[in-house]
Amino acid sequence: MSGIPRLLRRVQPEQLREIGLLLILIVLVAFFATQIEGFLSGRTFTRISTSVAVIAVAAVGQTLVVLTRNIDLSVGSIVGVVAYVVGTLLTENPELPAYVAIAVAIGIGAALGAINGLIVAYGRVPAIIATLGTLAIYRVVLVELSGARTITTDALPDWLLEVPRTTLLAIGEIDLRLMAAVAILVVIGFQLLLRYLPYGRRLFAIGSNPDSASVAGLPVQRDVFVAFVLSGTLAGLAGFMFLARFGNITVVAGQGLELQVVAAVVVGGVNIFGGTGSMVGALLGAALIDTLQQSLIRWLEVSEFLRDAILGLLILLAVASDAVLLDRLRNFWARARRRSPTTETTAAQEPGSGL
Amino acid sequence: MASEPAAPVASRDRGAAMGLLARLRSWEGLLLGLLVLIVLWNATSVSGYLDPRNQINLLTLSQEKIIVVLAMAFVIIGGEIDLSVASVMALAAVLIASLYEGGTPMELAVLIALGAGLLAGLNNAFWVAVVGLPSLAVTLAGLIGYRGLARLFIEDRSIGGFPGWFTAITRDAVLGPLSLSLLLFLVLLVVAAVLLHLTGFGRTVYVVGNSRDVARFSGVRVTRLKAALFVMSGFIAALGGVLIASRLGAVRGSTAEGFELDIITIVLFGGVSIFGGRGTMIGVILSIFVILNLRNGLALANLTGNTQLGVIGLLLILSVLVPNLIATARGRLERRAGDRGAGTGQGPDPRRADSISGTASG
Amino acid sequence: MSSHKRLIALLAVLSLMAGACASPAASPSVAAPTTAASEPASEPASEAASEPASEPATEPASEPASEPASEPASEAPSAGGEVVTAEPGQELKMMLLPKFLGILPFDQANEGAMEAHEELENPGALEFVGPTPENSVQGQIEFVTNAPTQDYDVVMISNNAGDQIGSAAATAQEAGVKVVSWDSPIPSAEGEDLFIAQVDFDSIGVVMADMALDIMGDEGGEFAILSASPDAANQNAWIAALEEVLEDPKYDSLELVDTVYGNDKSEESYTQALALVDQHPDLKVIMSPTTVGIAAAAKAMQDEGLCEQVKVSGLGLPSEMVDYTLNGCAPQFALWSFVDLGYLTYYTSYLLGTGAIEGVEGEQFEAGRMGTFSVEKDPTRDAGLRVLMGPFKVYDETNVEEEAS
Repeated sequence: MSGIPRLLRRVQPEQLREIGLLLILIVLVAFFATQIEGFLSGRTFTRISTSVAVIAVAAVGQTLVVLTRNIDLSVGSIVGVVAYVVGTLLTENPELPAYVAIAVAIGIGAALGAINGLIVAYGRVPAIIATLGTLAIYRVVLVELSGARTITTDALPDWLLEVPRTTLLAIGEIDLRLMAAVAILVVIGFQLLLRYLPYGRRLFAIGSNPDSASVAGLPVQRDVFVAFVLSGTLAGLAGFMFLARFGNITVVAGQGLELQVVAAVVVGGVNIFGGTGSMVGALLGAALIDTLQQSLIRWLEVSEFLRDAILGLLILLAVASDAVLLDRLRNFWARARRRSPTTETTAAQEPGSGL
Repeated sequence: MASEPAAPVASRDRGAAMGLLARLRSWEGLLLGLLVLIVLWNATSVSGYLDPRNQINLLTLSQEKIIVVLAMAFVIIGGEIDLSVASVMALAAVLIASLYEGGTPMELAVLIALGAGLLAGLNNAFWVAVVGLPSLAVTLAGLIGYRGLARLFIEDRSIGGFPGWFTAITRDAVLGPLSLSLLLFLVLLVVAAVLLHLTGFGRTVYVVGNSRDVARFSGVRVTRLKAALFVMSGFIAALGGVLIASRLGAVRGSTAEGFELDIITIVLFGGVSIFGGRGTMIGVILSIFVILNLRNGLALANLTGNTQLGVIGLLLILSVLVPNLIATARGRLERRAGDRGAGTGQGPDPRRADSISGTASG
Repeated sequence: MSSHKRLIALLAVLSLMAGACASPAASPSVAAPTTAASEPASEPASEAASEPASEPATEPASEPASEPASEPASEAPSAGGEVVTAEPGQELKMMLLPKFLGILPFDQANEGAMEAHEELENPGALEFVGPTPENSVQGQIEFVTNAPTQDYDVVMISNNAGDQIGSAAATAQEAGVKVVSWDSPIPSAEGEDLFIAQVDFDSIGVVMADMALDIMGDEGGEFAILSASPDAANQNAWIAALEEVLEDPKYDSLELVDTVYGNDKSEESYTQALALVDQHPDLKVIMSPTTVGIAAAAKAMQDEGLCEQVKVSGLGLPSEMVDYTLNGCAPQFALWSFVDLGYLTYYTSYLLGTGAIEGVEGEQFEAGRMGTFSVEKDPTRDAGLRVLMGPFKVYDETNVEEEAS
């Protein structure tokens, strides 16, 4: 009887949102399972998990930045630049070992992220202005670099083309592809970083109130700078995954990706005004949006032209029901805690309560 | 890091005129200087720039965007954001076209389209102001959803052949070289400036944008104000949709795609803080003219799309970065000179994201 | 029988090679296999390896494509109408305006235009300018609006703005600028002097239907279209042409089950291609009349190991498709030469800009190395004039490698 309430009592407030998102995701999958023939299959899992991977990796980086009350709109361009440069590199040097290619991808991403970080943290330019600027500038660099050449799949080494096809783990019908596994590792790794490293805790403090964080002697500038470097690094990794998955890289590669990444973060419950959110939330946000998209394009009842209208509505409903659910759970949790004051205190909880 | 320039904050509470003067010395002053530089540069080294036809083209090409910029300034100063404007523009334009094609008189079609804009705004307002969801999420859904709705009406078609009076709104000069739509823009520009700086409504927008909680405690009806902002934004966006249908003379599902980013860029460049509560209409207006003139000059000099964007991006960054660096350098010098005053020497830029204390979330 | 086929294949390959070299000889050589191949056109495609090249390639050529391409070359000199030739060295300021910058086909067109620019010794400037992909429509309108201010004499545009560019183009025309569209026309023809058509738009329907039939064999089956965007006028025209062609009893076995849009982005096209396969378990072919879509679809099928089940076809660039063609994921696809298209567009525009031709129906002119062309009514639009280039090149494993290098 009291099993679930007791379980809930142990749950911390930031986890409530994740549970809410998970419930919505389950409801959605259940709904589409009744609508689409063969939806509940390993194939659907493979499709969605591989397609979510690129967005999820970039969304983890975005979450770090958003936690500090900043934003990184340049991720789409970083992904494009990295995919293109690494693609060119591999086209010209097919013998290059994989780890070098990945290191280059991450290195370029980190460098571009560092430029953002310098401008925002040390140049004190608002992040939205700075990264709107670099969004354009990085894309220009890409167009100039490319000289209208396209990276084509056939010029890429075989090992790279094998990456998106590689299955790491097969449980029955469900394949866990390498790309999805990488994304999950990144999410878990950074979730742990947020929770257990002082750096992670500081990000919450900075985002909740940059002024008091600074007064309290936190290295605000350095931490924000590092957040941007990490965001760039992860965008670099996402760029490498993008190259492996899509093979054909033109100057438009990754364009508009920033919107998907920001959408995943926002739907995932990361407060755009900083201070609250989690990597798992961002992953769930990305998964939710992608599941919606992938399911809608497979839902025969819905015409090509109706899909976006429904997608907009469903995102709205998901966010709304998540908020309502969160409210309920939070109330319940508060009451439960009042009833049993012996429950572990949560002094270290993130401040800030906004949606 | 905690320093905060006193002038703009205080000015909001005092007379608006004083505030404007104070602001002119800071961000607006910089924009004005930039505008003068760009115009001089264009006039002396870009052939065709001074051509009266070009001056009109420069405005006409962006008229829908800059009208929506005026409304977006209110929304962002009010501490929210509306990403759905471009999709509402498309929805309005598509409604006009498909209603007209279906036999509805054009006048009525225009009214229905404007009404649809109001409804879209109301819908955004409901979820943001009443339910309390973050506007970024709500209007992101709107961005996808309203365009989806537009697609539903027009599918893969392109509808044109509008009556002459309708296309004349944006094409025929009625006063000097100005078309009706440009006159409308100029009127709205004055209205927006007056509304923001000289009325109680405008003051309330700042108060709410600064802190929702403070606003509520001081008796401001926050919900109603936020709702008003979104309804206004929706309506003006629909108006923009009417104008783009008129200017282009044909409507497709992709009409106005991506405009939201341009619109928001212009507002932010005008000195409006993305976190709300800061910025002036003068700054926004200057920003409009800076960006339009810059783009026009670059275009006439055959700097193509990508380079244009890059230059504008670089300008965006440098225009904030350079004053900040100068201020930092000056601050260091002053400190070295022994002036260990109140610590106001750092960062004159009022728009620093991290300098806003007490911004209420969402 | 088999020697017969070999002959056809040889002829086809020859014609393709000729087309590739784009020598004046291209025109007659197109007509040649037309007659030869008309006979076995309906044959089962069991020997797709050697045969397919000839079939679709010649099919359209036999009808509309051959008209201006081959006919004037042989008959024009004796025809009643005078064939205009260009007088080099006249000064014109020209703008080549692609849909956006940064992808190969448009750069190839620029290559062709520059070739003609040098050949005609135009002391004026040829500017290759364009908008960014995400700002394509507004950007193109801006370029055309600014063209008179910049004193351009001719704007050559691959129109991505549909009819929305009409008023800007008309205003430019009033100010004395010639507006020539290429690759993708202004649907209403408002503000357009001429359209340089790469191939006959209706023939694209025939080619796509033939390739689908060829890949699926006689028993036919289901296929779906992966297009660029719902707003791409040329894509829509080609899809409409295909749908019309499918009425022909010859294609009774083909069933078009779906049309989806990948918006010319690899990511979206890839996702849409996989969704098509999931949605239609019996799907046999994905037909993508866009270079981005076809490559992304082929990659998706290859990644998911679906190449045996679902083949990809459509319009693609050999350099991007060569691997998929050799490994059987995309056994055949078609395209025309963008270099030639740029060359012909420039040549025509130069003649129009210098007043050598006026851009009225029935005019004939010589376009340098490409031979003689004529201005005709565009049968695929309600209004508008076109100059038809043609022909198609259909690629399969026999010729794709050579073209790709």
